[in-house]
This record gives sequence, C-alpha cells and structure tokens, in this order.
Amino acid sequence: MKKLGLRLYAALTAALMAWGFYQAIYVAPDEQTMHEVQRIFYYHVPSAMTAFLFFAISLAGSIGFLALHRDHPLRAQVADAWAVAGAEVGVVFCTVVLITGPLWGRRAWGIWWTWDARLTTTLVLWLLYVSYLLLRRFAAGPQMQTLAAVLGVFAALDVPIVYMSTRWWRTQHPAPVFGGGPDSGIKDPAMLHAFGWNIAAWLAWGLLILALRYRIERQQQQLLAHQAQAALDEI
Amino acid sequence: MDQRAILDHQFTVAAYAITWAIQLGYLVWLGLKWRAQKRAVARPIRSPR
Repeated sequence: MKKLGLRLYAALTAALMAWGFYQAIYVAPDEQTMHEVQRIFYYHVPSAMTAFLFFAISLAGSIGFLALHRDHPLRAQVADAWAVAGAEVGVVFCTVVLITGPLWGRRAWGIWWTWDARLTTTLVLWLLYVSYLLLRRFAAGPQMQTLAAVLGVFAALDVPIVYMSTRWWRTQHPAPVFGGGPDSGIKDPAMLHAFGWNIAAWLAWGLLILALRYRIERQQQQLLAHQAQAALDEI
Repeated sequence: MDQRAILDHQFTVAAYAITWAIQLGYLVWLGLKWRAQKRAVARPIRSPR
C-alpha cells in the first residue's frame, strides 16, 4: 500500500514536471525586453523558493535536535535526519539557482556575476550549507551532530537576509515576484500560470527527494546503532 | 532568427539542461547510496574491530 502510494506520488510528480515544462516553454509568452531568455525564470525562481523551504526544514530539525538530544535521544535522531536531509536537498536547489542565475544574467545584464547584495548573500548561503555538509561528512565523535545543529541554526539566519536583500540594499537583481512593491509581480496570466505550475512541480519533486534522503539518513543511523551495539556485545 | 535570438535560445536550453542534469544526477546518487545501504543492512553485523 505504501509502495503504491509512493509510485502514484512519483507519477504525479513526473506529470507535473512535464506539464510545468510545457507551460514554461510553449504556453507562456516571450517577455517584451528579455525575450526567450526570461524563460529561465520558470526554473530559477521556483528552485530558490524550494531551497528556502528546505533550509527552513533543516533549521527546524537542527533546533529540534538541540532541544531533544539530552532527554529524548531517539526523537533527536529523527530531528537530526530531517536537518541533514533539508540541508542537502536545499544545497542541490541552491546550486541550480546559482547556475541558472548567471546564465540569465549574462544575457540580461551582459555579465555573468556581480557582487550585488542578492547574489552575494545567496553565494554565502550556499557556502554555509556546504560547510554544514562537509562538517557532517568529515567530523567524527559524539559532538558532531551538536556542532552541525548549531551551524545549521546560524546558516539559516542568512535565508531572511537573502530574501530581504533586494529591499535593504540597491541591487541589480530584479524585485521579488511577490510582495516587492508596485512594480513587482507577474501581470500576464499565462506567465503566472506557467510560474505556478513550475512552483508546484519543483516542490513536488523536492519533497520526493527529501523523503528519500530522510529515509537514507534514518537507515544510516539505525545501521550505526546496530554496529555500536554489536561492538558492545563483543566486549 | 538573428544572432541575439539564437544566443537567447542556447542560454535557455543550457539553463534547463543543467537544472535537469543536477536534479537527476542527485537522484541517481541517492539511489546508489540507498542500494549500498540495503546491502550493508543485509550483511551480518560485525564490530568495527
């Protein structure tokens, strides 16, 4: 039953991805000033939104781990698995943002990169979460999860800074799509639909790989616990 | 199609293709990790010593 549900969800996600792609490439009209290259927007912005969501999940997991690890170690392991899964899948989406952005910028602005506040804070966000993952990969010992959780909390502080950067500083990056003032937003309904379908598609895809990454982490924790128990039994 | 439109098209295709390569590459990596872990679970547990 669980397998059937997973397969149905995967099929629905694949259908959403295909529909989102069709909407972005064939249905949405060309933007007046940037023309075809503006279609990168339909992958770039939903990827950024999904990355933010997963970094928020990672933050919740990190806080949960720090709150529970003394009194409820088993529940803390669940929180830690969500923290690492959210961080890793968030980094994947953030990587997409940092690659599609310069491709779009090269055609729209004539440059690959500028040390503008939005771009710089996004790069810092990516670096913070990559360092979080590297810490988890290479640090050993019982304190590793605690150190990672603390770093996870501090890394997440950059998310609101990235979001607010176009409001707080003068930037070359366009205003936010939602809530960015009178000039922001999508006026054309076909563009809005294409954008909405791609948000749904990338969110569904992200949740699928997040669930898979969480499952792998939980299995890894159980494997390590069994190995530790076997080592104790041999003493 | 003028030169500008051709370049716009190439950049758009590159952005979409790279996005898919990253996402599918990550999915394949997760699948390999999952399979390796299944095998590790199936093996009899031995202490690290």
